[in-house]
Amino acid sequence: MESAAVPAPSSGKAPAPPIPSSGEKGLKKNAIGFVSSVVIGVASTAPGYSLAATLGFIAAAVALQSPAILLISFVPMFLVAAGYYYMNKADPDCGTSFSWVTKAMGPQLGWITGWTIVVADVIVMANLAQIAGLYTFLLVGWDSAAASTVAVTAVGVLWIVLMTAIVLIGIELSARTQVGLLAAEIATLALFAVVALVKVYAGDAPAGSIDPSISWLNPFSLSPSEISAGMLLAVFIYWGWDTTATVNEETENPDEAPGRATVVSTLILLGIYVVVAVAAQAYAGVDRLVENQEEVLSALGTEVFGSPLDKLLIIAVLSSAAASTQTTILPTARTTLSMARSQAMPKSLGKVHPRFLTPHVSTIAMGVASIVWYVGLTLVSEDILFDSLAALGLMISLYIGLTGFACAIYYRRELFRSVKNFFFVGLGPLLGGVILFYLLIKNGIELADPANSESGNSWFGVGPPLLIAAFFLVLGVLLMLVQWRAVPAFFRRRPEAAPAGFLEGEAQLEPVPIARSGEGGG
Amino acid sequence: MAEIVVGYDGSDCGKAALDEALRLGQSLGEGIVVVFGYAPPGIWGGEIAEHAEAIEELGARVLEEARARAEAAGAEVAVEMVPKKPAEALAEVAEAREARMIVVGSYGDPPLKGAILGSTPNKLLHIAGFPVLVVPALG
Repeated sequence: MESAAVPAPSSGKAPAPPIPSSGEKGLKKNAIGFVSSVVIGVASTAPGYSLAATLGFIAAAVALQSPAILLISFVPMFLVAAGYYYMNKADPDCGTSFSWVTKAMGPQLGWITGWTIVVADVIVMANLAQIAGLYTFLLVGWDSAAASTVAVTAVGVLWIVLMTAIVLIGIELSARTQVGLLAAEIATLALFAVVALVKVYAGDAPAGSIDPSISWLNPFSLSPSEISAGMLLAVFIYWGWDTTATVNEETENPDEAPGRATVVSTLILLGIYVVVAVAAQAYAGVDRLVENQEEVLSALGTEVFGSPLDKLLIIAVLSSAAASTQTTILPTARTTLSMARSQAMPKSLGKVHPRFLTPHVSTIAMGVASIVWYVGLTLVSEDILFDSLAALGLMISLYIGLTGFACAIYYRRELFRSVKNFFFVGLGPLLGGVILFYLLIKNGIELADPANSESGNSWFGVGPPLLIAAFFLVLGVLLMLVQWRAVPAFFRRRPEAAPAGFLEGEAQLEPVPIARSGEGGG
Repeated sequence: MAEIVVGYDGSDCGKAALDEALRLGQSLGEGIVVVFGYAPPGIWGGEIAEHAEAIEELGARVLEEARARAEAAGAEVAVEMVPKKPAEALAEVAEAREARMIVVGSYGDPPLKGAILGSTPNKLLHIAGFPVLVVPALG
C-alpha cells in the first residue's frame, strides 16, 4: 500500500533488467531488523550525552522533581511520533518535517520548518562539540586543559571537523558497531545507577545524599511554570527518538511489528533517563547537580566508581556524542539537499559528491556554520553558549509541533472514518503539537526576562535565549523572501491533503507536481 | 559472445578504465557494459528519498556520458545502474552476464587513504569471480 502511493521516480534511461535500478527498489533494501530499529531509536537520541548535558539544568529548574519532568516530557513527543508514522505512509522512505509541513501547510511554513531544523542542528553541534571537547580532556585526566576555554574549544572544533569528514566520506557506523557502542553505553549508565543507589542505601554516599522517594516521579506537585521550564529542557532529551517512527522495519508481520521497535526503544529510553536521574539525585542531592550542570556525569562518576572505573562513564558520554554525529549532521544535510532540490534553497546545496555520493556541499556548509557559531559564541561569552541551549528548546518545539499539526491537517478527510484514525492520526499529533506550542509560548515569555538566562545579560531589555531564537526566526524569514524572489517556483506550491480512504487503501494519492531543476537556480 | 564489464563514475580514473575497456573490446570484437554502482543512502533519518534521487540523477548523467563516449568509439554498449556498493555491483553484473572480465579504474590512493576512503579495486579483487583489470588514473 505504501508503494502504491509513490509516483515512480524517473531515474533516467538506464535499462532496468536484469538488476533493479529504480530508487524505490534500492531503498527497500534499507528495511531493517527489529534490533537495528531499536538501536536507531535509542542511539539517535544519544542518552549518555543528553543526560550529561541536561540533567543539571533540569535539576536547577525543578529541584527534586527531575524524574517526573523526564516522564511527562515524553508525552508530547510520543503523540507527535504517531504523526511521523502516518506522514511517513504518505511520503514513504523517510521524508521528514520539511517535506511533510510543505505538503500539508504550504511552502512558507515548510520552509520555516526546514530552516528551524538547520538552525537547531547548528546550535546542538556547538553544544555537542563543547561536551566532546571537555570529556576528551577528562578522559585523559588532563584537568588543567579541561578548565581552559581555549583548549576545550580547539578540541571541540576538531571534533566537528572529524564528524563532518566522516559524514562527508559516507562512512556509516554499521548497525553492529552501533549495537556494541550502545550496549556499552547503557550498561555503563545502568552500572552507575546501581552503584550510586547501593552507596546511598549503605550510607556510603557523601553528605547531601537523599533516599529516593516515589514522590520524585509525581508530576502533580510541580507548578505550571516549573513544568514548562523543565519540559522545555527535557523535550531536548527525547529529540531524535521521533525518527524511529519513520524507519521502515523489515518484518514478516507488517501489521504489528513496526510499532514494536518504537515501543521497546521508548521503554529503554524512559528507563535509562528516570533511573539515572533518580540515582544521580539521590547520590549527590540537587545542589551538586546544579553546581556541576555542565558536566554532571563526569563529576559524579569519579566519586561513584572511583579510579579507574570512572573513565567508563566518560567513555559512555563520548561514544554517545560520537554516535549521535550521524543523526545530527546527516539528516540536516539531507534536509538542505531536499530543500535545494525543491528549489527552496540554492541549487548547489543539492549536489552530491561524485565519488562519495553524499550531499557534500550541504554537509560542509553544516560543518562550517557549526564551527563559526561555536567559536563565535565562545569568543563572545561562554554563558551565551548555554543560553543557546535554552533557545534550542524553543526551536525543537516549533518544528516538531508544526509536524504534529501537519499530520492532522494533511489527513483531515480521513479523521472521521474510524475511531482509530480520529485518535491516532488526528487528535494525538494535534494535541502533541498544542502542548509543544504551549511550551514554546510560555517559555518564550519566561525567557524574555533577562534574569532567567544563564548569562543574566539583558540585550535590548530581553533575555539572550529569546533573542537568539527570534534572531534566527527573523533571519529565516528574510532568507526565505530572498529565495522566494530569486526562484519563486517552490513557493507557488499548494498545500495538499490525503484523499479520504487513503489509509484504508481505498484511495491513492495524486502525483505531486514538484518543481524540479531545469529552469533557473538560486 | 562475452562482454567486458567496466565501472564508471565520471572521474578521471573512470575515464581511463572506460577507454581501456573500449580498446580491449575493439581488439576482441566484444561489447562493453558500463556499470554505475551506488550504495543506497543509509538508514539514519532525513530525506532519504531525495538523496537517492540526487544520486540516481548523477548516475544517469554519468552513464549517458559513458554511452556517448563508447558510441563515438563505435562500440556496442549497454549501461546499468545498480543500487549496491560499486565493487558488489560490478561483481554482480559480471556474474549475471557471464562477462569476460571486469575493468575498473584506480584513483591511485596510497593504502591508508584507500582504506579510509574505500577502495573499489581492492574490494573487487576479493569478491570477483571473474578476471579483474585495474587501470590507473590518466596523467
